[in-house]
Amino acid sequence: MSKLAIFGGSIVAVLVLALLARLLGLGGARIGSAEEARAAAEAMISGFEGGAVALGSDGRAALVHGGAADAALLKVHGARIAARHLRAPFVTAPASGGLAIDSGDARFGTVVLKGVTAL
Amino acid sequence: MPLLFDPVNYAIPGFVALIVVEMLIARTRDRQRYCPRDTLTSLLLGFGSTVSSALTAGLVFAISMWVYQFRFFTIGFAWYWFPVAFVLDDLAYYFAHRTGHRVRWFWASHVIHHSSQHYNLSTALRQTWTGFVSLSFLFRLPLFLIGFHPLMIFFCAGLNLIYQFWIHTETIGRMPRWFEAVMNTPSHHRVHHATNPRYLDRNYAGVFIVWDRLLGTFEAERDDERPRYGIVKDLGSFNLFWAAFHEWVGIAKDVWAAPDLKSRILYMIAPPGWSHDGSRDTSETIKARWEAREQRGIAWKQPTSSSSVEDRAGAPSQAA
Repeated sequence: MSKLAIFGGSIVAVLVLALLARLLGLGGARIGSAEEARAAAEAMISGFEGGAVALGSDGRAALVHGGAADAALLKVHGARIAARHLRAPFVTAPASGGLAIDSGDARFGTVVLKGVTAL
Repeated sequence: MPLLFDPVNYAIPGFVALIVVEMLIARTRDRQRYCPRDTLTSLLLGFGSTVSSALTAGLVFAISMWVYQFRFFTIGFAWYWFPVAFVLDDLAYYFAHRTGHRVRWFWASHVIHHSSQHYNLSTALRQTWTGFVSLSFLFRLPLFLIGFHPLMIFFCAGLNLIYQFWIHTETIGRMPRWFEAVMNTPSHHRVHHATNPRYLDRNYAGVFIVWDRLLGTFEAERDDERPRYGIVKDLGSFNLFWAAFHEWVGIAKDVWAAPDLKSRILYMIAPPGWSHDGSRDTSETIKARWEAREQRGIAWKQPTSSSSVEDRAGAPSQAA
């Protein structure tokens, strides 16, 4: 079996499987409640104890305040939630329909809390 | 000398078919077990891994043959040597894999396999692009010195890789008790992929879970603690190249900024999360913090992600 045939077949299979996942409607996630955001933050960040929660109205992001001038910034990532641990002061800016929070991580990006105007 | 083939090439159609079956099951049971972008990322990382392996295979084989000339014995290709080679290769895999989690240089290569927050059959194919750079093939060299021919060992390694494909699933709960006692299974390997403090750095086995049981690294999956998958600091990105190289970039930055030579070396060979000022978490500090909480009687809050909260009904059966 030639390597070229294997590579060609593999790349076709990759694209077909990814397309199939989309056609089957797989995936999808949202942060449904403040309690869920708090639980996710505490599970994902070692030692973190969540307090007040600012939850985006679209369920795509949340900021969970901690007890030590810190916070967990959550965003929906694919069908899961990803988190970053932030220390105050938080870098924020008004965004269309909400408040943008800088995660401090270029790849994680800026997260917008829809419907939130202040922390 | 027989002409041994790479069995993985022949298993690829089976991999694809089983992923399709698992996707169809996910559609009926829990759609969040798959995410199209995550799947695409995993599969492209797997494709990249086959390309990088093809590019370095010749060099690895040449090094292996060079070592083989210093062998203590000459073990032939008689059929009964294949199971012996398979078991010893799996033991070598255990040590390579354990080192892959405990030494940052090796972790930088292996982390790619753990970087998905999902645990499905496509995750199995999320494989390293930098295995040669991390020198992970060194762990097989003792087998060549014993006298196993490199072709035989690489054939067994291919079978080992094929075995490990099917255990990357939440679709299967537990296997029969005798099987769980000896073999690596979906249940044991879910623990390995979990970031729950209890499960961190456990179950390194490839095929035979007995290595973990014998060497003190076994942890059973618990009915009351569902695994949360990924890495301690999840990527939060589907960027292929970031997934493949982020830990190498981290090592380079840390070595560059380290205050002294000792720190520079430790940033490469200490466990992941080590830092010269103790400002970061290793799996030991995470476990210690969790154990302290447990002792204080504060229940460690379980899940994890929106999906795991919502999909408990669809979680794999974990009844023994």
